Order: sequence, then C-alpha cells, then structure tokens
Amino acid sequence: MAASAAPAGGARTGAGPEWSGFEENIQGGGSAVIDMENMDDTSGSSFEDMGELHQRLREEEVDADGAAEEEEDGEFLGMKGFKGQLSRQVADQMWQAGKRQASRAFSLYANIDILRPYFDVEPAQVRSRLLESMIPIKMVSFPQKIAGELYGPLMLVFTLVAILLHGMKTSDTIIREGTLMGTAIGTCFGYWLGVSSFIYFLAYLCNAQITMLQMLALLGYGLFGHCIVLFITYNIHLHALFYLFWLLVGGLSTLRMVAVLVSRTVGPTQRLLLCGTLAALHMLFLLYLHFAYHKVVEGILDTLEGPNIPPMQRVPRDVPAVPPAARLRATLLNATAKAVSVALQSH
Amino acid sequence: MMQPQQPYTGQIYQPTQTYTPTTSQPFYGNNFEDEPPLLEELGINFDHIWQKTLTVLHPLKVADGSIMNETDLAGPMVFCLAFGATLLLAGKIQFGYVYGISAIGCLGMFCLLNLMSMTGVSFGCVASVLGYCLLPMILLSSFAVIFSLQGMIGVLLTAGIIGWCSFSASKIFISALAMEGQQLLVAYPCALLYGVFALISVF
Repeated sequence: MAASAAPAGGARTGAGPEWSGFEENIQGGGSAVIDMENMDDTSGSSFEDMGELHQRLREEEVDADGAAEEEEDGEFLGMKGFKGQLSRQVADQMWQAGKRQASRAFSLYANIDILRPYFDVEPAQVRSRLLESMIPIKMVSFPQKIAGELYGPLMLVFTLVAILLHGMKTSDTIIREGTLMGTAIGTCFGYWLGVSSFIYFLAYLCNAQITMLQMLALLGYGLFGHCIVLFITYNIHLHALFYLFWLLVGGLSTLRMVAVLVSRTVGPTQRLLLCGTLAALHMLFLLYLHFAYHKVVEGILDTLEGPNIPPMQRVPRDVPAVPPAARLRATLLNATAKAVSVALQSH
Repeated sequence: MMQPQQPYTGQIYQPTQTYTPTTSQPFYGNNFEDEPPLLEELGINFDHIWQKTLTVLHPLKVADGSIMNETDLAGPMVFCLAFGATLLLAGKIQFGYVYGISAIGCLGMFCLLNLMSMTGVSFGCVASVLGYCLLPMILLSSFAVIFSLQGMIGVLLTAGIIGWCSFSASKIFISALAMEGQQLLVAYPCALLYGVFALISVF
C-alpha cells in the first residue's frame, strides 16, 4: 500500500490519536495518498479484510460521533471529509479487485471459443446429416465417417425438450418437486450427455475407435428418430401406432448407430457388448418417454367430455351443465368466457 | 410607412446575451439549461424504437444493420410486460416464467451466436433483438384471452406466429452479424425459444 508523506503514528492507541495522523495530511497540505499501514492486517485483496475495514470504519464513525462535542468544528469536518474519501477509495479498490478476479475466472472457465469449430455448418449439411441418421449403412469393414459437429445434436436435444414439454402439458403432468421445464431439460440433456459418456467408456474398454465428440454427435443425431416418433404419438394417441413407429423409426436410427459402431470395433464380443448396450438404452429411452407421460392422458379422455377441455378449470363445481345448443360455442371459447356465459345463463 | 434606414449598431458576429434571468426566479445552477433532454439522457430514442418495431412487424422489410446493433432494452422491457399483462388477462399469473425463460433463452442464443458468427455479439444486442421480436407473440396471447387456442385454428395460428417471430429475429441477426446463408440455422433456435413462449400462452 502507499506510504504517506507526513509521518503518521505507527501504533494504534485509539480513535483520536490514530486519526490525527491523517488529519495532518489534510490540513498540512500533504499528499492525497492514504497510508494503509495504520490499518490492521488489510492487504486490500480479500473481501473479508475489506469487510473488516468497513466494519472498523463504521465503528470509528460511532466513536467519533460520541466524541464530537469534545472536538473543534474544523477538526471534525476535516476528519469526516477524509473518512469519506477513505471509504470511497476502499470501495474502489474492492471493485477493482473483484472485477479482476471475475474476469480472470471467466476467461479461464467460460472460454467457449474452443467449441467454435464444431458450430461451423451450412443448412444443407445439417439437412443431409439428419436424413442420413435414419439410413443404416451396411459397410462394416471400414470405419464409417461420423460428422464431428455439435450444432445438429444440440438443436435436436432442444427440440426433444420442446416436444417433451408439449407432451407434458397436453397430458397435464404435475411434477411435485421441480418444474416441468427443469424435468424436460434434465431428462434430455441427461440422456444425451450421460449415455454418450457411458458408451464412450464402454468403447474405451472394447477398444473401439471413436472419440467423445463423435459419440456425442452420433447419439445426438440418433435422437432425430425419437423426435419424430414422439411428435406424432403425443398428438395421436394410439398404442398400435406407437409400437409400429417405435420399431420402425426407432429401430432405423438405432441400426444406423449400431452399424457405425460395429465398423469401428474389432472382435465379436466387444461388438456385441457395445452395440447391445447402445441399442437397449436407445430403444428403452423412447419407450420411457412415451409411457412416462401417457397414463394421465388416457385418464382424462375417459372421464371428461372431449379432448379440448383445458386442464385448468376455474369454474365452481356445482355449475349447471352447458345446454347442447351452446356446445359449439363452448368448444370455441376458453374457460373464462365459458364461466361468464354459464354465470349469465344461470341468472 | 417605411422608416429611414438606421445604422445597425448591434454585433451580428458576436452573440449577445438576450436572456437575463430576473432576480425573483430561483437560481438552479449552471447545469439546468445545459442538460440534455431526459429521453436522450436515458438513451430512449423513439424513432429507432419505431423503426425496429416496424422491422419486426413487416416480415419482408429489409433490416438496417446499424440500427439493430444498438442495445436498447426499453422496448423489449415494455413488450415483455405487455406479454405478461395479456397472459394476466387470460388468468395466468406467469410473469416469473416469462422472466426466467427470456433470461435463459437470451443466454443460450448469446452463446450460440457467439459460436456461430465471425464477429462476436454483445448480450445486450441479443436481448434487445429477441425482446423486439416478442411483439407478434403478444398478438397470440391477446387472442387467447377470448378464444381457446387448443383447436385446429389455435394450432395453425400458433405455428404462424412462431414462424413470424423467428423469421424476424433471424432476419435481424443475419443483417447485424453478416451471417449470410445461415438464416435457417439461426431461425431454428429462435423458433424453439418462441415455441416455449407460445406454450405458456396456449396452456
């Protein structure tokens, strides 16, 4: 810290004598630099020390106010003015130190520029990769090429989140500990990152030639089939249709991933282990996503009068039934308008 | 009746003080007349706000890149509050959801656009553009005040409004960041974000 021009008292003997050293600085036309040596163990670089300093400043103020009547006006003003300047400088140093630390941490940990090359794609490339993810290639003697990009997989995961959210809303799912959005994001990202890591670990055990990025991209594009199946079957609730799509579309995308992995693995046991695990997890995930939010939909369809009743009814329970003549209007208007119309009719 | 020309005794090239404050008026200090107008000081430029609103509302109007690069959060704030207010009219008190989703969505778009563009983009610019393009969503939620959006008409209208919002947003981003040929790649994440807003409006 900076040294002062005038010799300041080194020892702390109390509020008055300590401050008089600084007072000399002001009234003697000294420098505007603070002598921090008089302060206790403050290095100015940790918030705890700064907090202590602020606490001490506040205590000094209380002591100074208590001793105000003993001091002359000029002295008192000089001390107050300087304390204001001191606290300003301390606050400024705190801010600078905090900003330095934060920017250092940010540039170290949040440097997303390393992911920049994986987002350099054209729309035509993404479209062709989406279509190719549904077409298994039978060539297993040479390693098949995997596109190492993250834009497509990331967008597909987000699409799956959106479809899941839509499905949860139509099936009136109530999540008790958490939010719908959090559950959807957690499920989809958890699957993508978790299963990719697990299969990468198995691939390491089975000596397969695949990198983590390639595994992420492969599994991400494999979610395209899931998105299609769930989008259709959350809107058309037929079990047979779902099983058909599960086998067909889910099976195709799984076969594609399996073919790629087989082409990059040597040895029948290893191939079986790796591909069996991936196929099982992928197909079971689609099954889980469909049935986890499905039971409630069937329940509602059985008990209520139509599929277009909004899940949140705010009308009282003993409301008389809507007359048949107004049935068309009842499906067109929303809950508020219906409640109003029923209330008007009953009066 | 014209008077004979009198010699000009003023000083045309030197400004003379013509305003003398009367002693009865209180003296506010030297700064009062030198202060800029309030709106200019706050950074609210109504003309630019109107230009940006028109750019959002006309899908085919070409966006001016220089205007779009300004960080103006007054308009987006008003639009978010209007969106929350129209949801309130429909009986859904979901200001918290609007705030949370817009914050997370802006953060996500900021990261994505920084990764995809050659020049970087500031968070304020992303927040400003996404906020402006929320305007058609307000039309959707005000429609939902009276009519239910869960029929076929609602589905079509929702899809149309989402497309409109994301098309405008991607158009503005493309013009501001000079990312030609990647409009679809920018439009899709915007469509997902506005789809979540539409989900709040519909359900």
